[in-house]
Amino acid sequence: MEATFDSLFLGFSVALRFDVLWYAFLGCLVGTLVGMLPGIGPLAGISILLPLTFGLDATKAIVMLAGIYYGSQYGGSTTSILLRIPGEAASVMTCIDGNAMAKKGRAGAALCIAAVGSFIAGTFGVIVLTLIAPPVAAFALRFGPPEYTALLTLGLIFLAYMSTTSLVRTLLMAALGLLLGTIGIDVMTGHFRFSFNIAELGDGIGIVPVAVGLFGLGELLATPSHQVKGDVTRPRLRELLPTRKEWHESAMPIARGSVLGFVVGIIPGSAHIISSFLSYAVERRVSKHPEEFGKGAVAGVAGPESANNAASTGAFVPMLALGIPTGPVTAVLMAALLIHGVPPGPTLVNDHPNVFWGFVASMYVGNLMLLALNLPLVGLFVNLLRIPYAYLYPLIIMFCVIGVYEVNHSIVDVWIMLIMGVVGYGLKKFGFDPAPLVLGLVIAPIFEMSLRQSLIMSGGNYMIFLDYQQRPIALGLLATSAILLLLSVISSILRQRDWRAKLAQAEAVERQ
Amino acid sequence: MDRRSFVAGSAAAAAALAIRPSLAQEVYPTRPVTFINPFPPGGAVDVVARPLASVLEPILKQPVVIETKAGAAGQVGAQFAASAKPDGYTLLMHIMSISGFAEVDKLFGRPVKFTRDDFIPISRFIADPMVLVVNDKQPYKTLKEFVDDAKKRPNELIFSSSGLYGALHLPTALLMKAAGIQMKHLPTAGGGPALTAILGNNSQVLVSSIAASSAQMKAGKLRPLACFGAQRAPAVPDVPTMKELGYNIEFYLWLGMFAPKGTPVPIITTLREANKKAVADPKFQQAVKNLGQDVAYLDQPEFRAFWDLSAKRVEDAVRLIGKVQG
Amino acid sequence: MMIRADHVAGGAFIALGVAVFALSGDLPFGTISAPSAGMMPKLMAGLMMAFAVIVMSGARSSQAVTEIDWSDRWHAILVIVITAIAVVFYQTLGFLITMSLLVFALLVVVERRNPLRATAYSIALTLFAYWLFSKALKSPLERGLLWF
Repeated sequence: MEATFDSLFLGFSVALRFDVLWYAFLGCLVGTLVGMLPGIGPLAGISILLPLTFGLDATKAIVMLAGIYYGSQYGGSTTSILLRIPGEAASVMTCIDGNAMAKKGRAGAALCIAAVGSFIAGTFGVIVLTLIAPPVAAFALRFGPPEYTALLTLGLIFLAYMSTTSLVRTLLMAALGLLLGTIGIDVMTGHFRFSFNIAELGDGIGIVPVAVGLFGLGELLATPSHQVKGDVTRPRLRELLPTRKEWHESAMPIARGSVLGFVVGIIPGSAHIISSFLSYAVERRVSKHPEEFGKGAVAGVAGPESANNAASTGAFVPMLALGIPTGPVTAVLMAALLIHGVPPGPTLVNDHPNVFWGFVASMYVGNLMLLALNLPLVGLFVNLLRIPYAYLYPLIIMFCVIGVYEVNHSIVDVWIMLIMGVVGYGLKKFGFDPAPLVLGLVIAPIFEMSLRQSLIMSGGNYMIFLDYQQRPIALGLLATSAILLLLSVISSILRQRDWRAKLAQAEAVERQ
Repeated sequence: MDRRSFVAGSAAAAAALAIRPSLAQEVYPTRPVTFINPFPPGGAVDVVARPLASVLEPILKQPVVIETKAGAAGQVGAQFAASAKPDGYTLLMHIMSISGFAEVDKLFGRPVKFTRDDFIPISRFIADPMVLVVNDKQPYKTLKEFVDDAKKRPNELIFSSSGLYGALHLPTALLMKAAGIQMKHLPTAGGGPALTAILGNNSQVLVSSIAASSAQMKAGKLRPLACFGAQRAPAVPDVPTMKELGYNIEFYLWLGMFAPKGTPVPIITTLREANKKAVADPKFQQAVKNLGQDVAYLDQPEFRAFWDLSAKRVEDAVRLIGKVQG
Repeated sequence: MMIRADHVAGGAFIALGVAVFALSGDLPFGTISAPSAGMMPKLMAGLMMAFAVIVMSGARSSQAVTEIDWSDRWHAILVIVITAIAVVFYQTLGFLITMSLLVFALLVVVERRNPLRATAYSIALTLFAYWLFSKALKSPLERGLLWF
């Protein structure tokens, strides 16, 4: 333990050097920016700035690039809350309740809670990373294909808690999302599925264009300017801040989101995005007022926003301790280290303590900076809503087009966004909720691949998922799924009036 | 990158070259040159192309822009470059997998999007031999032990790869054929996940590039058994080559520069000259060294011959794997 | 029988499911212990159609299709058509021209704003975005054939 503090001290002596601080600040600033711009997420942001770091030393480069990564998780919530446009894929869930809060005039509160939640989650993540990175990383390696399959099964069960619409509508949207997720090359057999000889569709359709189209564009299409009342008055400072009640309601979701997000984050693979989905579902499951979700529940902002930030920190654990990338973003960060002659790997801590501990310490500093950067900006951002809508939405459309385009320089992605905008408009008219569709799209390729990988490993035997000696994690996750299913079956047998029934009742009253 | 300071550093050279005949015809290049990077940012091509671009800029005296056109394991970018205007302003940086796409498309009866003939090879920069590694929990100390055990229990050992017909699958297929063994194939979504799979002992064998697995080999998590180069690799001098062990297999993860078919010869010549100067630049050599590799430069004639040979191996391997049953 | 919103929606999803089955004929299905390329799409299309049937069977409680509020349709159509035209020309004409025209068209055609103010706003906005991407993010936006 003492050694850890010595090392951390070394880290801070690096991280608090003026030049290192400066690059951490730059990273956080750019991260906030790319997080806010629709379409451009952390991956694109880091890739775009990677060449700029070639002249820096390894520590500054990694500090700046990592700042972009976790900074974008702060920024991503801004456009979600204010404009219902997911700034990046992990902010999809924040759109729902965050934007509902904004419509009730609580935009400032939502932004504050998102920033504070992100700060607590990020700091929690770094503390865990500092103290127990190696054993946690060993846990990450135990996640093979069967564990993944089990985790995503649990994710699918949680789907039921994700939407405000009826269960069958939710499942229909999820099935559609899972179906869309199968577009592209099948890595197991090499078959192209529904790609119509368009090379770009070989990789499947991206989450970002779909999310921006369904949520952002769909909303804009359904909102002609004459329907927007231009009475957004200048909010007073007190109204910008969350009330005592709102703080109280967000405390536990932030705590749960931090832990959940961190655990999901350390798992290698690209399941990061599901951390915010899972957190939202958990919050709704444990909430005493699940019917408030979708209508501006504070927990629906606090939980997912904390979760995605903790996940981004958790992702660093296997990367730093083992030298394996947990996803595309950490892969680019590892490339950045490599370029500077610091090979990431199990020996990184011993070979380059300056880089390792400087980086860890910079994350403490970076999270503080981001909080200091984001809280004062809340007032400024809220004023964005005072731009007349007729001028605001052309601006949003323009940023959506270029943001989605810049990621891969792919015009096909922009078309996907436009088509999904029309689809989102149609779904809205017919009373369907796009959120489960996005989750289905995220899960489909990973779920299908890990299921088939597991079956390859076991020679087609499904018992690989229930082998408690070899695969206790998979068994545990599946058991949790089964219990959740059982509980919902029992409650429906007992015909208890659960929140769905309450909701239906409330809607029936509203309609009359 | 401190391109600026570099430009300043070579100011003398630049000044000398600046005194060009003022009446000269439009000399290539007159505007920025674009390198197409067909892989994600920070990927195998990007990490070499960026330092290359920064040393080429003062030589070509034009900015060199790297444009990422990632998708379908490098096919999207290659297709884009194949159909680009052959004016020398759109060039492709690609790796050994460029040779396999047409063969895979033929296998599935799909229209072939481009062939090798759509490209003119210009230079090769890197050639990292592949290395066969096993998880340290496996008992094998030599390739022979591994092959003998694999023969005893066909289809029990699992090898991971970056994807079907990918750079890590093809050499494994060639080895399985040469050694007469069968293993289960665990395709993953890329080189990183393939490495994660073997580290977690979800697969036991992996054929990887030396650079990608060197940190894990040094840490003792992975044990190298054989290497796919013609000679032993400097990074792992104790590891015998496949040839030493009696298997006539060579396989490299190489990286080269290509121009679309029809690019005028003078432009190609300019680029060859520029590349020759660029690879001699210590800055570029250091950048490649940082990646755990060495510059393995080949000029056009040698690169063309090398590519023909390499492509034949890739095509053989694709045909060998065939269409996956299921 | 009155046609309800859920009849239309359910019907559309069933049609999509049928299309998926028609398009995935050549994808091998595999077996339960060795799923192949066609299994997941067909399973999901099947599930989607099953849920669509349930939605249709409960359609009685949904609103009549004629009651859906389409008052925003002209706004939606105009916005999507103008944006689509901009996307068609994006790579040829480059960012500055296409996007300032897009913003201008949205303001003048859809919103009937003063063309002068719209011109000023669209040009200022695109220049700002151009500067933002090329300077702050070091990722120059699409230049098109005219090189700006």
